[in-house]
Parts: sequence; C-alpha cells; structure tokens
Amino acid sequence: MRRDVFQAIADPTRRAIINLVAHKTLNLNSVADHFQQSRPAISKHIKILTECGLVTIKQQGRERYCEAKLEKLNEVEHWVEQYKQFWETKLDALESYLNELQAPQLRKISKSKKSIRIVSSKIKKHGKQK
Amino acid sequence: MANKNEFIITREFNASQKLMFEVWTNPVHLEKWWGPIGMKMGITKLELKPEGTFHYSMKTPDGHEMWGKFVYREIIAPEKIVFVSSFSDAKEGITRHPMSDKWPLEVLSTIVFTEKNGKTTLTMTGTPINASDEEVKMFVEGFAAMNQGWAGTIAQLENYLATLS
Repeated sequence: MRRDVFQAIADPTRRAIINLVAHKTLNLNSVADHFQQSRPAISKHIKILTECGLVTIKQQGRERYCEAKLEKLNEVEHWVEQYKQFWETKLDALESYLNELQAPQLRKISKSKKSIRIVSSKIKKHGKQK
Repeated sequence: MANKNEFIITREFNASQKLMFEVWTNPVHLEKWWGPIGMKMGITKLELKPEGTFHYSMKTPDGHEMWGKFVYREIIAPEKIVFVSSFSDAKEGITRHPMSDKWPLEVLSTIVFTEKNGKTTLTMTGTPINASDEEVKMFVEGFAAMNQGWAGTIAQLENYLATLS
C-alpha cells in the first residue's frame, strides 16, 4: 500500500508521536511510555510514520531510536495551502469584478453630489444678493 | 452548527447582498470572474435549482481545455447557495483534479452572504463528500492541523532544528 505524509498526520496519536520525537530522539520504549495504548499499537503507528517518511529508526547498540524527518511535512502545508490559495484567488477575482461593476455607479453618484454642491452655492450667492 | 474541522473562509465585499447573489448565480457575471486567471471560461450549462447543474470549461492559452461543475443542493436567494463542486470532463462526468490525485473528488460548499451597513460578508464552508474515509481524514486533519497552528509549530521546530545542526 502506498503511504504518504497525509496518512501520517491523519491520526492524533501519530501527530503526538511526531511532536514527541521532533523535540528529542527517543527509543521505541520511551515513545510508548508516553501513551496509554499498548506497545504493539504504538509500534504500528511508528511503522506507518516510517513508511510515510516522517520518522526513521536508527539502531544504536541494543536500542532502536526514533528520529523525526520534518522536511516531509512541507508536503502537507503545501496541500492545505493549495486549497486556501484556490479560494483566495477566486475571492480576489470576485472583488475586482465587483469593483469594476460598481465603478460607473460611483461616478454617477459623485457627479450628482457635485451638481448638488453647485446648486447650493448658487443658492448661497442668491441669498447674499438678497 | 459549524463543524470545527471544515474549511472556512470569509471576506467582506463592498457590495449589496443582492448584487453578491447575482454575480454568483448569473452566467453573464460568473463568466467574468469564476474562471482561473489567464484562462478563457465558457459556460455550457447553468440550471439554478436544487439538483441543477452548472457546467463550465476553462481553456488555457495553449488550447488545453478542462471542465468543472457544480450540482446545486440548495438555493435561497439572495442569502445562501449550497453546491457540490468537482472537476469534470466535457460530458459532465466527475474527474480528479488535473494537477493532484489527492484532491477530494467532490467538495460540498456552502456560500452564505450577510449584509451589514451596505457591505456583504461572504462565508464559504467546504467539506469533502462521497470521499473515502481516508480522503476525508486527510482533508479534515489537514485543516485541523492548520487551524490549531500545528503546522506553524512544526515549522518553528524545523527552524530551530536547523540552527542546531
């Protein structure tokens, strides 16, 4: 089965594991100690994380250590960003179209305001003359 | 009630609610802004009613053509439009995103317009439907992660780790 980084972060336990080993490389038992789930369950999550390329396992003496490979997470941000970008672009286009649509109306309004001002100044003048 | 895991985007526009609804539903207007920048958009069909279809084409300058479609679920003029959007082919079939095989096939979008003091706020909520559990999870968790600032936290960590090595 093909695995990618999205599957890695789809599970809260796996996200917690990433956060944990991102701070500090830990051996498998120490990782498992942080969770209430059984060791085999945690091992399975770690296995998925290694298959997704987010975690690597290094053998040091008798211990096996989990190390985070965070570069892979850029894939997620990129994908989430894509959807946001899609909508931002649409709304930008909508905004400029609405401005374009309403521009002639605004000109009309300012014109009529102008003519009102002219009229009122005429009235003032007229009043002074009186 | 709003689901925390849905994708939500809002923006205030300098337009009345009536005009906003109009530019979202009238093909004459849609053609002017919905298509991607630099592509020629054509509208093949627009049936503004529940179960009705909006089917459109987008043509790149080099002549490559793609299609998209909405199937309307709910239309309450002038305040709400609910539709299922997807990429499409010339025959209104549902297809994958032309550039990504991870993009959910169908996204349920709810657009709400609320007017206040002559300005209208658009709220768009998106969530995948008819997707496999895994696809939904990827979408939802991706946004949940973003909303919680988790992605940002990881980015900070990344920078920090970079200074250590």
